[in-house]
Parts: sequence; C-alpha cells; structure tokens
Amino acid sequence: MKFDIGVILASGHEILSGLALTVLIWIAGSALGLGLGFIVATLRRYGGPLVNLGLAIPVEILRGTPFLVQIFLLYFGGPFIGLSLDPIPAGLLGLTVYGAAYYSEIFRAGYQSVPEGHVEAADCLGFGRIQTIRHVLLPEMALIVLPPAVNMTVILLKETALLSLITVPELTLTVQAIGSQKYAFLESLFVLALVYWALVEIAGQLGRLAEGYFSRYRTART
Amino acid sequence: MRTKLLTGLTAAALFIGAGFAAHAQDALARAQGAGVLKVGTETAFAPFDFIDGGDHVGFNVDLFDEIGKELGVSIEWVTLDWAGVLPGLEAGHFDMVAGPATITKERMERYRFTTPIAESTVAILKGAKDDTITKPEDIAGKAVGAGHASSQLAQLQTFSESLPTPADVREYTSNNEAYADLAAGRIVGVANSFPNIAYVAQQRPEVFAVVEPPFGEPTYFGFPGLKDADHATLMDAIDGAMLKMKADGRMGTLQKKWFGVTFNTPDAVTDPKV
Amino acid sequence: MSWKLFSLLLQASGMTILVSAFAIVAGLIIAIALSALRLSGNRLALGFVAVFVSFFRGVPLLVQLLLLFNLLPALGISLSSLSTALIGLTLCTAAYQTENLRGGFAAVPPGLIESADMLGFTPVQSFLRIKVPIALRLTFPTLISEAILILKASSLVSVVGVIELTKMASNLAASTFMPVELYAAAGLIYLAINQVVTLIGRFAEGRLPGTGVPAR
Repeated sequence: MKFDIGVILASGHEILSGLALTVLIWIAGSALGLGLGFIVATLRRYGGPLVNLGLAIPVEILRGTPFLVQIFLLYFGGPFIGLSLDPIPAGLLGLTVYGAAYYSEIFRAGYQSVPEGHVEAADCLGFGRIQTIRHVLLPEMALIVLPPAVNMTVILLKETALLSLITVPELTLTVQAIGSQKYAFLESLFVLALVYWALVEIAGQLGRLAEGYFSRYRTART
Repeated sequence: MRTKLLTGLTAAALFIGAGFAAHAQDALARAQGAGVLKVGTETAFAPFDFIDGGDHVGFNVDLFDEIGKELGVSIEWVTLDWAGVLPGLEAGHFDMVAGPATITKERMERYRFTTPIAESTVAILKGAKDDTITKPEDIAGKAVGAGHASSQLAQLQTFSESLPTPADVREYTSNNEAYADLAAGRIVGVANSFPNIAYVAQQRPEVFAVVEPPFGEPTYFGFPGLKDADHATLMDAIDGAMLKMKADGRMGTLQKKWFGVTFNTPDAVTDPKV
Repeated sequence: MSWKLFSLLLQASGMTILVSAFAIVAGLIIAIALSALRLSGNRLALGFVAVFVSFFRGVPLLVQLLLLFNLLPALGISLSSLSTALIGLTLCTAAYQTENLRGGFAAVPPGLIESADMLGFTPVQSFLRIKVPIALRLTFPTLISEAILILKASSLVSVVGVIELTKMASNLAASTFMPVELYAAAGLIYLAINQVVTLIGRFAEGRLPGTGVPAR
C-alpha cells in the first residue's frame, strides 16, 4: 500500500478554508457559550429557587446527552418544529448551547468559591449587585474558573469535528472529501489527526499562558 | 509481575494477531472456508439498502441472499456511512461492496465492477408542491443536495456549472439526510439516481416528486470489489452467480419487487459515459 | 412514538452499554499500567506516556476511530467493527484516566511506601497493594464522571460500523421521518443510563473504605 501525504497537502487552500471555519466556529461558539454560561450561572444565583430549577433541568439534559444527539435533534429535528437552520448557524448554535451548559456549571462553582464575607463586605461598602459581581466575585473566582474553562474550551475544539456529520464544511468534512476524491483515505486521516493534535496543543498552551496572566498577583496561600 | 506482564502482552498480541490470517488461499477460498462472505454497504440508499422498522432490507439484501446460496456462503453485512464504504473495502474490512456504485471511468480504474444491476442515470427529486421546477435546468441558482463522495454529486456539479447561474450544491453524509432537508425546505432538490428517487417519491407522494427527464448521462449501477489477484476468483464467482440469476429471471423478479420495473442492462459495462 | 420503535432503541442501547463498560474497565487497566510506567522514572517510558496521553486527548475521537479503522488493516491487522470500536474507545479513555489517576498517585503519602519497604514489600507489591488502591479510592469520583463521558462518546462508534443507540435513532429517523421523537427518546435513554451510573457511583463511594489520607 502506498502512502503519500503530498496528495492531500496538494489541496492546501481547501484544507486552510476548512481549518479557518473550524477555528471560527470554535472561537465564536466558545465565546458565546462562555457568555451564555455566565448569564445562566448568574441567574441561578440571584433568580430564586424557581429560576434555579428551571435552568438546572436544561443544563442537566445538555450535560447528560451526547453532543451528536443534540446536533442531530437540532439540525434534522428542528425543521419539524419550525426551526430550519442552515448547517453553519445550526452548528454554531449547537456548540454554543452545549458549551454554555458546561461553562455555567464552572461559573456556578466559581460563585460558590467566593467567601460570603467578601460579598457582605462589598454590601457594607455600598456596592450594587453588578458592582459586586464586577469588582469582587469575578476577580476572586477567576483562578478557580480558569483551569476548567480552558479545559472545556479545548474540548469544544474537538467537538467541532462532529459538525461534519451535519455537513458543516469544517476541517474534518473538507479533508475527508479531499481524501475520497483522491482515494487517499488513510493519508487524509493522518493529516486530520496531526492538525487537530497541533491545534489542541496550541490551545492548551495559550490557556496556560492565560492562567499565568491571571494569577500574576496571586500570593501563595498560607 | 514482569513475567505476568509479558504473558499478558503475548496474549494480547496473539489476540490481535488472529487477524493475520494466512493469505495462502484467495478471497473466495477464505470466504467459502469460513462459510461467510462479508459485504460492506450503507443503509441510507433505499430501495437498495435501507432500514425498515429496524431491519436492514432492500434489493441488495435479497440479491446477496441469492448470491450467497449460489456460492454456499452466508452474508455478513458491515454498514457504514457511504464515505467510509470504499475506504473500508480497500482496508479489507469486507470482501466486496453492495453499495451499489455507479460504474464510472475513474472508479473502473480502481475497482472491478460486477455486471450491472440497475440503471443509475441521475435525476432530480423535488418537493411535491414545488411548481417552480419542471425541468432539471430550473435548479439554476437554487440549493440542491447530493450524497458526499457519490458519482451523483460529481454529475450534479458538472451539470450545475453548465447552467447560466450555477446551483448551490450541498453535500450530505447520506441521501436520507438530503431527503430530510428537502422535506424541511432547506434545499429545493436532491440529485440521485432515478431508481432511488422514484422509490422515495412513490413512498411519499405527498412530499416528493421526480423531475423528468433525468439530466445525467445514461449510467449503470454495479457492485464494486477489488481488482487484485486475491479477489479475482471471488469477483468471477459473484459475476457468474449474478449472470445466472439474470438468465433465469430471478434478477428481473427482484428488480420488479423493489423498483416496480425491470431494467435492460448490458452484461458488462466496458466504456462508461461518465 | 410506537412501542416497537422505542424497544428497538432500547435494544441498541445494550450495545452502547456494552462498549462503554468494556472501554471503562479496559481503559482503567491500561491507565494503571501507564501510571506504573510514569512512576518508573525511566525517561523513555515518561516520553511514551506523555505522547500517548497528549495524542489521545488531542485528537477528536471521531478522527481516532476512523484512523484506527483504516490504519490497522494497512498494518496487516484485520479487526471487526466491534473490536475496532472497543479498542478506539479504550485507548481514548485510557489517556484521560491516566491523567485522572496522576493526582491520586501523587497523593499517596511517601511514609506509607517507606513503611512497606521496611516490611519487605517489593516495589511491584507496594505499587499494586498500596499505591493503586489508594490512587483509585482518591480518584473514584473522576472515574464515575469518565464513565459518563465515555457513554456519551460511544455515540461515535457508528462511524466504524457498530450500530448503537444514536445510529439506531438516526436509522429509524430516516425511515419514519420522525427525527424529533427519535432523537429525543435516544437522549432520554442516555439520561436514564447516566442517572443509573451516577447512583451506582454514589452508592459505591459510600461503601468504599476510607484511605486514611487526609483530604487535600
């Protein structure tokens, strides 16, 4: 069996366009998911028991079912309930909502990690709720939230590969298509594995840099 | 510990090594020796291969049952997405493909095809209530889908480029998903072989309709297998069984059962149009 | 949705449970072996474990499974769809479990190992009888979350031809044109299995003996 990775690399510009879409959907999905997750966690903290329960249920459903089932339901089931999205918006929405469920749990743990006394102190100083979140809660929980959030963001990068199954022309779909056109199946999978591996390593390094940046004023706990 | 570990590793190697079956016999002898012929296919290609109430049924299933009787083997199905089927054949996960695949020049260079089993000329499936498409050219500028890595997709792309405004061609991992998207209104048409879409339209006349005439060159479906010497006698035997079925009328009966018509196919395709 | 369709989903979830359970157990055994390599301090071994863990955590499982399915035969190893799925899921979870166990092994008090040394334990004995049980006990909750992750990840093994819950739902969705009902029902079955795994985990954790190691 001959193995010639050049056959795949000859379609460099197509690979780059798939890669660009993967990175774009990943960054947009993570950013939106992070924002939505923060809103969900904040509503659960301040919205009272009913809101808390009402949000806990979808979060548990999203965390308890495979991402693949979620995007199939959204993409193939959506039109039957009046939600007909094209592959890219459906993929982005799916990734955002899925990520938000996990991010919201990370922020919830973050909120819980801040001692009540600090919130009370902010109260005494006349801080409003938003000021308290902005100047007390968020900075204090950053170190707790960052490692799992970085981890989740890297997981979301790998989950984007599943969007190929709802025909989003991202990296996996693009490289597989090149592989079948040129009958270079194994080569295409090698290229895919190497590109994802490199992306995940780079994302992990960036995450660690961010963790270092946010902990620069942190002194050791006694 | 170390010896135990070694024993474990040896056992694991043996377990995996069971796959290094002796290649002294050829594919036909191995299949007949084991009593099993492994056939790869996708299950999103009604009426050839599909899932009906949880069971894998279709023209291919019936036809291979007969081929199995002729060869004295039972059939073991391996079902993958279409994009994985030809790679799976080359990787040796099965002895041949039931697919079926349109016989094209490019594929004939790489695979050996059996005698044709049906016509596969490409046509457009549209929504039953869509009056804007009455001939294939009407898809110009509109969104049309086809199966990923299929010859129908390639023909759709060529046809689309010949139109004044090219169509927005979308690729699907399986035809079922393209049909679902057509029903959902995301696309206005699906390009697939005439027997397939005729069947789909007949099953759901309130949802789908066929746009006549087919737009593609006349083509045929055959089952692809490997060209190498190892598979030569197997492919000969399968071809022999299929030609025998064609002669004694069993092939025609199955075509009538699944397509509603019989096809006048050549015994072998030597110079495909696409 | 008819009972017939639902019962087909239930049957297919048997495959989901089978491949996940196999992968979790086999993955744990490999993870313990990899941890032993890591603790050996041998540079080559450390490098191997680092690359193994980084690769299987860095490449999407979908790509891993397809690669395995196409690569092994090219190397002359022919395996069925099911074996490929089992090996793929196992290697992937082994990488994650190795990382999960790292903290557990690090938390084994050196004093215990020294005492074992003095009692005449060989390094292998103290690894198997002391370090492994303590590390497992300390990281037990992560084992349960890993089991749930693998259950969900098993939805991908259909790309190598194994018909499990998700594939059955998508097959049936295609023939019945009821994707909403079928994917929702599949989702419910996953949730139910996860609940059972979580409950078993909680029950087992309550029953496990303590380790005497203070919580960090």
